[in-house]
Amino acid sequence: MILSADSQKTIDAYLSALHRQLRELTDDDVNDIVEEIRFHILDKTSADASPEAVAATLSALGTPGELAGRYRTDELMKRAQSSSSPLLTLHSLFRWASLSLVGLTVFATSVIGYTLGGILVIVGFFKLIYPRNGGIWFNPRPGGKGIDGSAGFSFGSGATWTHPGHEIIGMWLVPIGLIVGSGLLLLTFRFGSWSLRKFWRPRALRQARQE
Amino acid sequence: MHSISSVKKPGTDTPAIPAPEGYIPESPDKWEVQLRKGSLELAILAALWEGRLYGLEILRSLESKSDLIVVEGTVYPLLNRLRALRLVESEWVEADSGHPRKYYRLTPAGRQRALGMSRIWARFSASMTNLLAPLSGETRKEEP
Repeated sequence: MILSADSQKTIDAYLSALHRQLRELTDDDVNDIVEEIRFHILDKTSADASPEAVAATLSALGTPGELAGRYRTDELMKRAQSSSSPLLTLHSLFRWASLSLVGLTVFATSVIGYTLGGILVIVGFFKLIYPRNGGIWFNPRPGGKGIDGSAGFSFGSGATWTHPGHEIIGMWLVPIGLIVGSGLLLLTFRFGSWSLRKFWRPRALRQARQE
Repeated sequence: MHSISSVKKPGTDTPAIPAPEGYIPESPDKWEVQLRKGSLELAILAALWEGRLYGLEILRSLESKSDLIVVEGTVYPLLNRLRALRLVESEWVEADSGHPRKYYRLTPAGRQRALGMSRIWARFSASMTNLLAPLSGETRKEEP
């Protein structure tokens, strides 16, 4: 059956929107998906090409945004599972966090891990460059009983700056900050990748369970 | 404490089974929908067991051989995902319809996966049937 001009226009608009929404995928994948959906629509409307039948077929597929979203999220997760890029992993975890409680937990843990690791590395570097201005000090309490712990850094006070307390680990802060911080960053990245491989359920599968 | 109301059997005045307040016996059961939909991955692998099919054929096979509620916009991304997992492979084939069709077939890994899922399904189903045996008499009584 021949499609009317209006029906053809509706289908073309749907496929153009789908094409645009799939921008995160490779050109080959996008063309493959769009062609498959185009031929699905043509097959479904081969017996009845009325505007109502075309509208029903497109409705069964969901909006272009919904359909593309199912492909895009799966693709993003697939790339992140084998990627060595912490940014891509974090981006994927952020997307996952918006979809499930497990994703939110993994994302929150990763943010804490990256933050702590980053702070430790910065502290290590700071101590290396400004040995007198960075460190961990313990200040005796007034009266001499117990101690108050405090960590402090001074910026812009120059080489004459001194902290009133007692610095406890000195230059050990450099290797500790750099090694523990780097290790924590690496561990956090590995944890994110492992969680994606272990717990991520493809969006299509999950939606199939929810709908 | 939950207050208790009761569900009356159709055509009788006597309460049959106590039910929590707010329970609506005639409401659509989301659990059943989820159960059917949760079987979709296995259903697709099973549909491809005997040979290659294209997307619409898979949909029609699922609809005709089962009462799964198949959402078309869900099946294609799922097929794409199964392909990425190398459980199925695809190829474009010229067809008499005037346009090519993308056919899917199971890979050896896909056949293994389907067999494994099928075994789990059979074991689970048998254990649930066993567990639900005491309820079967009540179910029969409630059927019109």
